[in-house]
Amino acid sequence: MGVLRRHPALPLGLLFAAGLLLAPRFLERGTLNDLWNMAFFVVLASAWNLLGGFAGQVSLGYSAFVGIGAYTTVLLANAGWSPALTLPVGAALAVAFSVAVGLPTFRLRGPYFTIATIGVGEAVRVIASGLEFTGGSSGVRMPAAAFDFTANYYAMVALALATLALVAWLQQHAFGLSLEAIRQDIDAAEALGVPSTQAKLRAHAISAALVSVAGGLFATNFQYISPGSVFDFKLSLTIVLMPIVGGMGTLTGPVLGALLFSYLQIKLLASPTLRDSYLFIYGGLLILVMLFEPKGIVGLWERLIGARPWRRTPAVGEARRAS
Amino acid sequence: MQKLVVVALNSLLAAGLYATMSYGLAVIYGVMRIINLAHAGLMMLAAYATYALNDRFGLDPFVSLVVVAPAFFLIGMGLYATLIRWLPRSSTGPSMQSLLLLFGVWLVLQNLAYAIWGGDTQSILTPYTMQSVQVLGGRFGVPQILVFGVSLLSLVVLTLVLRRTYLGKAIRAVTQNRDAAMLSGVNAGQIAAVAFGIGTAFAAMAGSMLSTLYAFTPDFGRSFLLKAFCIIVLGGMESFTGVALGALVLAFIENFASAYTSIPVSFQDAISFTLLVVVLVAAPGGLPGLWRMFDKRAVAR
Repeated sequence: MGVLRRHPALPLGLLFAAGLLLAPRFLERGTLNDLWNMAFFVVLASAWNLLGGFAGQVSLGYSAFVGIGAYTTVLLANAGWSPALTLPVGAALAVAFSVAVGLPTFRLRGPYFTIATIGVGEAVRVIASGLEFTGGSSGVRMPAAAFDFTANYYAMVALALATLALVAWLQQHAFGLSLEAIRQDIDAAEALGVPSTQAKLRAHAISAALVSVAGGLFATNFQYISPGSVFDFKLSLTIVLMPIVGGMGTLTGPVLGALLFSYLQIKLLASPTLRDSYLFIYGGLLILVMLFEPKGIVGLWERLIGARPWRRTPAVGEARRAS
Repeated sequence: MQKLVVVALNSLLAAGLYATMSYGLAVIYGVMRIINLAHAGLMMLAAYATYALNDRFGLDPFVSLVVVAPAFFLIGMGLYATLIRWLPRSSTGPSMQSLLLLFGVWLVLQNLAYAIWGGDTQSILTPYTMQSVQVLGGRFGVPQILVFGVSLLSLVVLTLVLRRTYLGKAIRAVTQNRDAAMLSGVNAGQIAAVAFGIGTAFAAMAGSMLSTLYAFTPDFGRSFLLKAFCIIVLGGMESFTGVALGALVLAFIENFASAYTSIPVSFQDAISFTLLVVVLVAAPGGLPGLWRMFDKRAVAR
């Protein structure tokens, strides 16, 4: 029963997962599409949260990984590869890119790292729009073939569940604790023997791989991608906002954020007046969270309920952070 | 040789504008240790304000600076009073919270522009937009020259204010050491409000002048924000002469890269973004830091 005590929400989660996997038998395509979107956002938010939430390295360049996954999938599919091969290749490329970007930029701290990632993301978008083989700014299309939405749906839901399981496991693992230590005080963590750069690189690589696979599935689902859709700054922005609004550095926070944002997106697409004001909503949420509750919905919840009853014993340094 | 002179003059013209758009960022960073991501939104909003004044009242973009800059000074003070002053203050370095808060402000400003002017690309046409003059064998656009002149003027005024007035001394004092400045009786909160106003006014001036050179949408300003950030990092974050130097360096690199290398025009923005990352990583102290480093080595030898 140790597992249950550590993860009291596990049965509920499993029930929910089973429901999601059975959903294609009962629900129609439109609802499934919404669920697909939710799962997509859960992957992006939870994967980003590994580096941005747990390790506190806020990156505004994650659309680069969505783009790498999407472009690898489309370009290789056009060369006749099967999706079972293109997704791992995309993930490998994203990991390579994450290391190439991380090695220099992880020397920067806090907001300087964030600014550098905006630079990297924009540079990638500009270059992808200018290159020949990516189709330039007009983008590329998947080869015309029968497209199985249900398979894509299963893949995305499985990816989301795997991401959450991985995050929950890492959270308990020494690796998760070292990320937490880096976020609280990187110098103290280093002094205690946490290899901070290596840990950040690993978190970056894991989240890059997950986001890239999600990007590949995105490309298969939409059949057409362009720098404006997958390398867009707004995508990076959404990826960052979901965990921040939900609650950075927690397992549930990014999921709540992802659910909120996919709900908002569905509502926004349905109503023309709301569609024109989504930036108001995003920006307003960001301002409110930063002014009143930097720990997001989860922080608000904790404040309303008191402490979480199922909360594990506070880690070292937690008391100081609370003060 | 003649090409070299023309490219150099072009770089100089660009550097003036670059310095103006970076000073606002530098003042705010210096006094408050805040990276103002809303800078881009403020530049964009000022471009639209200039457009509206031009469209409605036929006001010349350069004349409208007289209205736009003070108005944005007040907007900046308002932003400080309503949002920025409530943030917890960090003494060590810029906080993530302030960065993200101002990012939120930027998004709201973008949406404001969408709501008022829509998403279409706008531009301002004046009688002299297409005119150019011949100097030293090269043709230079009249708007570019006017922008350079106004930038130079605004920088001279800013330097005079910083060097000759109490306000300027107080701003420099808070930039150097906030606690020591407060011990000497400087009202740091008030100075911060004024500095945020000045920073916003400079963003507005840059935005107004950019609107005479480029077409713009509510999404406008991101690449210029990154360039401005690149410049203040090059300049060492806190030094105002450093900003001028950084602006010159970036403008020269960009112009010479496009004139003498085969880097396509579409990749030109990537130059400054890459330079930003390289400088942040390799020389976090910027040019002054590099200079001090080499200087020390020379002394040690």
